[in-house]
Amino acid sequence: MAETTDTAYPQVLFANRKLDRIAAIDDYRKNGGYEAIETVLKTFSPKDVQKLIQDSNLLGRGGAAFPAGMKLQTVADDAPFPRYIVCNADEMEPGTFKDRVLLHADPHLLIEGMLIDAYSARAEKGIVFIRPEYENAARILEREVAIAEKAGFLGKNILGSDFNFSIDVHRSGGRYICGEVTAQLNALEGKRPNPRKPPPYPTEFGLWGKPTVTQNVETLCCMPPILRNGAQWFKDLALTETGAGTKLYGISGRVKKPGCFELPMGVRLSEIIDEHAGGMAEGSEFKACLPGGASTRYLTREHYDIPMDFESLKAVGMRLGTAAIMVFDQSDCMVGVTHNLMEFFARESCGWCTPCREGIPYIKDILWRIENGLGEERFVPMLERECRHLWNAYCAFAPGAAAPLEGLLNDFQDEVLDHIREKKCPFKASV
Amino acid sequence: MPKLIIDEREITVPEGTKVIDAAERMGIMIPRFCYHPALGAVGACRVCAVNCLDGPIKGIQMSCMIDAQDGMKVSTTDAEAVDFRKHVIEWLMLHHPHDCPVCDEGGHCLLQDLTVSGGHGVRRFQGPKRTHTDQHLGPLVRHEMNRCIQCYRCVRYYQEFTGYEDLGVMQIGSRVYYGRYRPGTLESPFSGNLIDICPTGVYTDKPSRYRGRRWDFERRPAVCLHCALGCHVTVSARYREVVRQEARFSESINGHFICDRGRYGFPYVNLPQRPRSARVDGTETGWEAALKTAGERLESVAWKTGPQGIAVVGSARCGLETQGMLKRVADAKGWQGPVLDIDPAAANVRTAVSRLDSDLQVSLREIETADCIVVVSADPLNEAPMLAPALRQARRNGARVTVIDPRPASLPFQFDHFPVAPDDLAAAMAILIRKCAEKEPLSELGKTAVRSIEAVSDGADIPDADGLAALYDDLHNSRRPVIVCGTHTAPPEIPGMAADLALLLRIAGPRAGLFYVMPGPNSFGAALLSDPAPSFGDLVSAIEKGEIKALVVAESDLFGSGIDWDRLRNAMNKLELLVTLDYIDSPTTRAAHILIPTLTSYETPSLLINNEGRVQQSPAAFRGGDPIARTGGGDHPPRAFRRDIPGREMGAAWTALLTLGGRDPGSAPVNLTAWLGEAHPALTSLPEASDFPPDGVRLPLAENAVERFQTDRFSHGEKEEDALTLLVVDRTFGTEELSSLSSILKELTPSPFIHIHPEDAAELGLSEGDAVGIDSEAGTTVLPINLTPEMARGVLVIPRRRDLDDRLPQERRTVLSKTAIRKATEDA
Repeated sequence: MAETTDTAYPQVLFANRKLDRIAAIDDYRKNGGYEAIETVLKTFSPKDVQKLIQDSNLLGRGGAAFPAGMKLQTVADDAPFPRYIVCNADEMEPGTFKDRVLLHADPHLLIEGMLIDAYSARAEKGIVFIRPEYENAARILEREVAIAEKAGFLGKNILGSDFNFSIDVHRSGGRYICGEVTAQLNALEGKRPNPRKPPPYPTEFGLWGKPTVTQNVETLCCMPPILRNGAQWFKDLALTETGAGTKLYGISGRVKKPGCFELPMGVRLSEIIDEHAGGMAEGSEFKACLPGGASTRYLTREHYDIPMDFESLKAVGMRLGTAAIMVFDQSDCMVGVTHNLMEFFARESCGWCTPCREGIPYIKDILWRIENGLGEERFVPMLERECRHLWNAYCAFAPGAAAPLEGLLNDFQDEVLDHIREKKCPFKASV
Repeated sequence: MPKLIIDEREITVPEGTKVIDAAERMGIMIPRFCYHPALGAVGACRVCAVNCLDGPIKGIQMSCMIDAQDGMKVSTTDAEAVDFRKHVIEWLMLHHPHDCPVCDEGGHCLLQDLTVSGGHGVRRFQGPKRTHTDQHLGPLVRHEMNRCIQCYRCVRYYQEFTGYEDLGVMQIGSRVYYGRYRPGTLESPFSGNLIDICPTGVYTDKPSRYRGRRWDFERRPAVCLHCALGCHVTVSARYREVVRQEARFSESINGHFICDRGRYGFPYVNLPQRPRSARVDGTETGWEAALKTAGERLESVAWKTGPQGIAVVGSARCGLETQGMLKRVADAKGWQGPVLDIDPAAANVRTAVSRLDSDLQVSLREIETADCIVVVSADPLNEAPMLAPALRQARRNGARVTVIDPRPASLPFQFDHFPVAPDDLAAAMAILIRKCAEKEPLSELGKTAVRSIEAVSDGADIPDADGLAALYDDLHNSRRPVIVCGTHTAPPEIPGMAADLALLLRIAGPRAGLFYVMPGPNSFGAALLSDPAPSFGDLVSAIEKGEIKALVVAESDLFGSGIDWDRLRNAMNKLELLVTLDYIDSPTTRAAHILIPTLTSYETPSLLINNEGRVQQSPAAFRGGDPIARTGGGDHPPRAFRRDIPGREMGAAWTALLTLGGRDPGSAPVNLTAWLGEAHPALTSLPEASDFPPDGVRLPLAENAVERFQTDRFSHGEKEEDALTLLVVDRTFGTEELSSLSSILKELTPSPFIHIHPEDAAELGLSEGDAVGIDSEAGTTVLPINLTPEMARGVLVIPRRRDLDDRLPQERRTVLSKTAIRKATEDA
């Protein structure tokens, strides 16, 4: 992970990434940094920016793939002020580390992205909501925000315009649910971070009841290049018709060279593993992977060549999520893997609604029994029922937790039944 | 008005109705745990799932979270929805301890009901049960966290609805815990509602633990006697004792909740000291024999001194029947009185009652809809506790709440406070009235009004006059302003000025309302039926002069009248005959020559008029009598094989008075409703007992034009330079007469102290915690002081504790010279 991507593909987000240090404001400006915001302030209306981002087909990179331009457009023209934009840097999805790499590579790219986002939402206040474990990145951001302010890119009357914008860096209290947009707003207001139920949507009634646009770090970082080079250029970066732009793929698990790679949207999974990650680890055979963090279904061998973009995965009932690929091989017990994921979800549930608070520990317990030789055949329909009912939870957390379990029950049911029949985990050496 | 189909039946409901409520209107009770009409919908428990088969929203939905919309086709019996709801119950029961046999909630537990009705019986989950540690939450509420199903009702009630923060939710996921940061007594005086609102047994009623199941109790509706609001309660009695009380829903008054004073004020009914047998000169006699003797002795006094040698006294806790009978007997016999309200605030209450017009009346619930509220000379939390949450709901809806009062006001929400000294209250009101008169043409009001308004001072010299002037603009620009006015310690012109202001605002446009806070549960009735001529003070003077020789006192403790105890004792000693009718043990019952025990409002029906002018009926909850615990000789279970009820040889006070008035107890029953109509024109159209509506009836208060804008202007004279005003004020716990006898509330009653402004304290050379002696007519009172910056200068405030009344100055408002106040330690 320490080296830059060795690839012929265009590097947009990592354009200024250095091997040994963080890109400074001068590095950023040398490559055209802050030109976009200058042009925007001079010649674009907020609506123009929204349209351009909409045309570029930039989809939210935090996992939900909501069109970024559309989100901006949902802030009504006559919506009240002050308005807020929030950069969601609470990267806690298991296996995901792209935002961290990005923050350490080129902080001014994010600052300019937030400027553009704020301008188009007519917001004067930006907040970076950052995971507390990213203390380094938080300090880097605070330092670089001050530098940008000194350089006149933040503050009052930016670059001689009537646009004012400032950025605060807010450290999260440190729970997974704080990454959920509405829970994050409650956290910022000093309340318990239980999600809110839209409507009203945050762009209408967000922080302290005011319009608030929340975007992921990577989404915001895509904005300056789009503004500089145009929507069509951005779309053309992708390898598939439906995709747009480049994507940071984080790969971990049973591969030779785990890391975070900037590749065109829609690159095939096989290419990511075999070329960019240096192939499967010695003696490992691809069994399955999580394509985009813990809240996605397992992707099996039959999809090894699938183009990794939102639409292609959706077509086969999968989700690209955060594009954090976790690779498992023939020695990995999928019951054990799923139990491990459930342990995470059970720990991180906010405890608001019954399905999530009680259902996930229920699943965890059953999987633990199966994994430890206490499984019974009746557990399989019980798990299926849990899975189905998790979908009626309050927010998207429980359905996310259900995804890997659905994968286990659909694609690895034999493995589950082997555990139950043999009364032990077949992957563990017997004692 | 959306029209939708629920379970194949069509219904039209008002815009914004939730599907769960729409179904309830049709008699379909969709299960719910987290949903509560007072707390709103939050979608946490997921047990109200229904299937939306067609319409704008489809699929499994939580019926509390979706508004009824046109074209919706909802099924509550759909297999998928039912399966999910059953599963929610299974989830909720995973960790529930199944301790129903020892749980006080058992038998009226929502979780128990829904678990049984949902058919969940077998726990398939094999994991261990999650357990929690319980906390000590004080004397009222018992905490058992293992029973919790995490519906969040308690914290939503405690923090959002009533605005207290010491109980909250901690931790996440399956470790979610509701409690305090540290164990300790709950700070909210509304904490008992946690017991009612919890759908299972996490919060149970501590004083009544293990005293019976719901079906063991005689459960009846009643009206609370512990302040003037008249909140609705449900009484549970067992073995001839009142065991517990719960809040009872009232659309117009208290909504779903009550205060802890109302909930736990009842033990006076069960006390061993309660008079249960009649006594003549200290000797027990039968009830009727005592009445006969009393009648004969009264006749003999009347024969010697004439009927004016006898006076009758009641109180604001007497039912309307008793008050009416006191008046009827006094009128018939030519006795003096009745003096029905002996509280020092009686004159203020009379002004208030005379000024409350039908078009100004607002109910407690209507206060929640006000958008600008001015509270004058009242302390809601301490004088009428449930007024505080009502004000908070108004605040939550965006209202501005302002308190103009010398005391250190404390309310569980954000409000503005003008700490104006008692002498300046009239000037503060004058600012608002003058501003109002400035803006509106006075011509409509007539000459009297103009003169009256011009007579008020401009008030410019009081602190923050500009702030008050600005407050007027908010009042004027509001849609629904309400003036809340206290009577307990208010200077005499304030209740009238509050009415003037409300009337002027009404003329100016906004739909202004007026809400008086009164001391007793039937202060209003007392004011209507009292003979206006003698005050209680006048009676005492007449006794001292020997003009009155006999006193008939019904359900009233004369030692709460604000008259100095020594003077009162001397006066009592001069009486030839003191006949006391009461159900509590008090200095007055102890001083009686003839004591006639009477039934409480739990044992005999009574009518009460609350502060808003609403007549309510409190039916009898049980038949009374000595608690079986005391007559059963220690039997377990208690048995009493006898035909009568021991300790019940008594009747309602009004029946006793009827006999004293000379009526033969055996004669035909009287028509009380008709008699009340004869007693006061406002009471002519009271419904019969059997037809009394649940929320009572508002009295028709005619617009009393004569009284308008005729508030007497009292001259306070020159302010004394070196004087301080001492206020003896009500506290939530410990002041009100009946609840101060409650053993349950003892622990919550604070020890007495003196509030003083730090600058006044500095001038007097006093510092925090100093023991300070105050010399007054009552002698010297020594109490520690409490420096309180949020109060008026020039004022000392002592929260009154009824059980220590003899140690405190009796008058509610006294002017003291600064020399009367000194550090007590100097004496020692």
